[in-house]
Amino acid sequence: MAPPWWFCRALLPALALALLGLAAAAGPHQTPALELAQELAEELWSAGLPGDLPELEPECRSLLAAFAEGSAALTGCLGRRARPVRLCQGCHGHYRRLLAQYGSIARAVGNSSESHNCAKSILTSDRLQIVVTLSEFFNETWEAANCANCLKNNSEGLSNSTEEFLDLFNKSLTCFEHNLQGQAIDLSPNNYTEVCKNCNETYTKLNDLYNYLQRMNRQGGESAHSAHLCIDVEDAMNITRKLWSRTFNCSLPCSDTVPVIAVSSFILFLPIVFYLSSFLHSKQKKRILILPKRIQSNANLVNIQEKYS
Amino acid sequence: QLTPSSLLRIGQLSNVDLNEDIHELETEVPRQRPNEIPHNEKLLSLKYESLDYDNSENQLFLEEERRINHAAFRTVEIKRWVICAMIGILTGLVACFIDIVVENLAGFKYRVVKDNIDKFTAKGGLSFSLLLWATLNASVVMVGSLIVAFIEPVAAGSGIPQIKCYLNGVKIPHVVRLKTLVIKVCGVILSVVGGLAVGKEGPMIHSGSVIAAGISQGRSTSLKRDFKIFEYFRRDTEKRDFVSAGAAAGVSAAFGAPVGGVLFSLEEGASFWNQFLTWRIFFASMISTFTLNSVLSVYHGNAWDLSSPGLINFGRFDSEKMGYTIQEIPIFIFMGVVGGILGALFNALNYWLTMFRIRYIHRPCLQVVEAMLVAAVTATVGFVMIYCSRDCQPIQGSSVAYPLQLFCADGEYNSMATAFFNTPEKSVVNLFHDPPGSYNPMTLGMFTLMYFFLACWTYGLTVSAGVFIPSLLIGAAWGRLFGISLSYLTKGSIWADPGKYALMGAAAQLGGIVRMTLSLTVIMMEATGNVTYGFPIMLVLMTAKIVGDYFVEGLYDMHIQLQSVPFLHWEAPVTSHSLTAREVMSTPVTCLRRIERVGTVVDILSDTSSNHNGFPVVESNPDTTQVAGLRGLILRSQLIVLLKHKVFVERTNLNLVRRRLKLKDFRDAYPRFPPIQSIHVSQDERECMIDLSEFMNPSPYTVPQEASLPRVFKLFRALGLRHLVVVDNRNEVVGMVTRKDLARYRLGKEGLEELSLAQT
Repeated sequence: MAPPWWFCRALLPALALALLGLAAAAGPHQTPALELAQELAEELWSAGLPGDLPELEPECRSLLAAFAEGSAALTGCLGRRARPVRLCQGCHGHYRRLLAQYGSIARAVGNSSESHNCAKSILTSDRLQIVVTLSEFFNETWEAANCANCLKNNSEGLSNSTEEFLDLFNKSLTCFEHNLQGQAIDLSPNNYTEVCKNCNETYTKLNDLYNYLQRMNRQGGESAHSAHLCIDVEDAMNITRKLWSRTFNCSLPCSDTVPVIAVSSFILFLPIVFYLSSFLHSKQKKRILILPKRIQSNANLVNIQEKYS
Repeated sequence: QLTPSSLLRIGQLSNVDLNEDIHELETEVPRQRPNEIPHNEKLLSLKYESLDYDNSENQLFLEEERRINHAAFRTVEIKRWVICAMIGILTGLVACFIDIVVENLAGFKYRVVKDNIDKFTAKGGLSFSLLLWATLNASVVMVGSLIVAFIEPVAAGSGIPQIKCYLNGVKIPHVVRLKTLVIKVCGVILSVVGGLAVGKEGPMIHSGSVIAAGISQGRSTSLKRDFKIFEYFRRDTEKRDFVSAGAAAGVSAAFGAPVGGVLFSLEEGASFWNQFLTWRIFFASMISTFTLNSVLSVYHGNAWDLSSPGLINFGRFDSEKMGYTIQEIPIFIFMGVVGGILGALFNALNYWLTMFRIRYIHRPCLQVVEAMLVAAVTATVGFVMIYCSRDCQPIQGSSVAYPLQLFCADGEYNSMATAFFNTPEKSVVNLFHDPPGSYNPMTLGMFTLMYFFLACWTYGLTVSAGVFIPSLLIGAAWGRLFGISLSYLTKGSIWADPGKYALMGAAAQLGGIVRMTLSLTVIMMEATGNVTYGFPIMLVLMTAKIVGDYFVEGLYDMHIQLQSVPFLHWEAPVTSHSLTAREVMSTPVTCLRRIERVGTVVDILSDTSSNHNGFPVVESNPDTTQVAGLRGLILRSQLIVLLKHKVFVERTNLNLVRRRLKLKDFRDAYPRFPPIQSIHVSQDERECMIDLSEFMNPSPYTVPQEASLPRVFKLFRALGLRHLVVVDNRNEVVGMVTRKDLARYRLGKEGLEELSLAQT
């Protein structure tokens, strides 16, 4: 996937393409991209450019247009589903289609009589290589979101565990809403005990399922990416946990401080007893001095010290 | 309380000796009482002997040299390289073994405790988790301490002081035995798994040295196996060279720092050095780190990746993200000052603790109990810290190995737990690399404080464990705290990655404790894999050493001194020129005649009051009262071999001796010569004569009586001597200088001090 960037020989389609890419990425309003490109090409043509410039083959042009439309649709989908995150659930169809379109560009061998094909002219003919960049951007986003994790193996639709999770998620949200309605008026921070009590079961189930999914996932792969679940699931869990722990303040209270203090102070007290008792009862180790056999002259150490001081 | 009194006692004793004649033996009896003193640091133990680095050039040696031709010497050279390669490989493999076992056992322990904590957080009753954790730690440490205390006490601690002494020329009993290696390796594994504030890096150096000593001899006396190879190297001199290679290989495996390993051997170990040796040692280091690297990469499932060169990896330090600017250098130097002060405090506390331990906790069972208590308290402190901490951080990916939630909100973990609830190596790496904001300052402060005391308390226990990693951890914690507060104080104008300050803090703390300079700089540089850090690390270590040395000496030197080892430093004390060999030497000297009666030899050797190892040989003079001219020097070990083989003049004359003794017979007995009691000499044989002229070293080093102490010291130190004979003008023996005679002069706080000899 690393075409030579210096390979710029077809000025015209490249220019057109660059603009086309911009147009495609520009916004949600459906631009008739094909027409625009054609228009531009004709414009340049009529401006007196030499006629022997190779033009994009019609079939290539249609492939390109399809890709442009696909990417515009995907961009729109991603943007609309950014918060709360529903990328993988909502956009996997678009993404799959775009992949196929890109694949057909990369694979397409244009008119056999021509020496070059669509892949060459669309993907590698200029420095910018906007089609490649776009497709890389979508791939990276998809990978970062780790959507493959909550889709079926053939990436048609959500996997069973994800469905189950989302089901539970919706259930707990409903439970939260349902229990909050009763006390909608006075929402002082500590008044959520009802929610905590009533929804505990659903929430715990959801949490356990999430932890289970995470554990299964971690066992499956070792690399950094696969350590994450897909972003939809992660985000859903995060929202729920935040509601539960921060808003409703249902997380576990700091309990049994007294036994912990008792046990720890008992253990911390042991060394003091140990050192005291060994200091008092253990016999101190004595060293037996040995007198060296030496000539005891006047120049012994004390004298030296006196000499120096 | 000790300093003035012991000095006074020396003075008194010498005065007493001056006044009373030595011949009056009655005075010895009442003096027995005050001769018993409590242990202090101004003693030299009689337990330690010197190694024989001086080659005895007797006739057997010359004969052997004549017999071996030039080609054979070349194979000796090749064998040296082969041995170095094997040292590297085996050291690397031992390091792998330790790493893998620690990882699995510690992982298992933390999983069990974590599950337990998770369970009891919901149900209540966390005190049970605390008890479980403390009991697990204490029982694992108990096993580790039991094997050390009862089987091989020399395996306690990091082993670096012991290896330093060995390379200095002091024979520490059992230090390079296979049994020691086994106990050391198991002990390290158990103490790290037991959750003590220790590392497994220091002991690697000892392990490498034992491996080197074992391989180079081609046999193991512990296993009673002799592979009949490398017999040429069964000498102290050769063994010493290999041991320094082993120490280097150990460092290199521990930190993934081959150059650092060589420099460590050079700085801390090898008192005797030559250039050829450097290259061989480097070879061994490289092989060692490469072996560790390849085996661990295969173990971690990415073979050929070679991403784990050492037991501890500091991780990648990117130059762009974690680079430093010139303005930061004064800050680093300031950190060096802090490291020096904290290191000195650590050493001073550890000094008092060690003294207390030597005096009062000397029974093995007490030592085991102490180690267990420390383990239990370590777990308790960790638990209480985690319990009280309200520092919750969101889990990001799987960067935290054992995230403890406790009372944090779901999806968050307790930040204190990443520091305490982990093996120290992992905690160090976390402190270096966790993104800014992963720890709040309160957590770091409490952690530093607690870990400082725990590590200080732990070092010196009867478990085998190193001090490198705890020092790095303390330093990394306060370094990170320093980095955070720096950006806080300057309102974010000095934006800095706290990981960089954590690294500098780690270097400063380690430098302040162990006071290594060159080798530590290179080790840190290699472990971070970033050469640009060399300059600040060097500055930090330099400052830490200067500041620390102002207060107390380094941890290893301190422990050597507390063990009463006769350690010879590079130079004699500076103010000792007025002392001459006459005052330094021991006299009178027990001499042997060239042709001596067997009975006399046996009596001299079995005399328990004078445990001499070298005997000057003098001309056989019919008049025994007169001292005759020096002819040579013979060692106790040689005499024992002679007695064992009964090489007596009469037997030779009667053709009873089957063959002439060869150098090989002496080598086979090395290094554990049998004690004299095990050699049976009959009454008839006592009357035989023994001719020493073939076996003695005919040209021992001698000095005149007027030679000054520094001069004697230099000769002794540079040549690695064990005995230096002092002669008068007529070449008659007047005295003998040994290691203990030189090591007892030390530069103390009030000038030159003299240490006393003691039986330990």
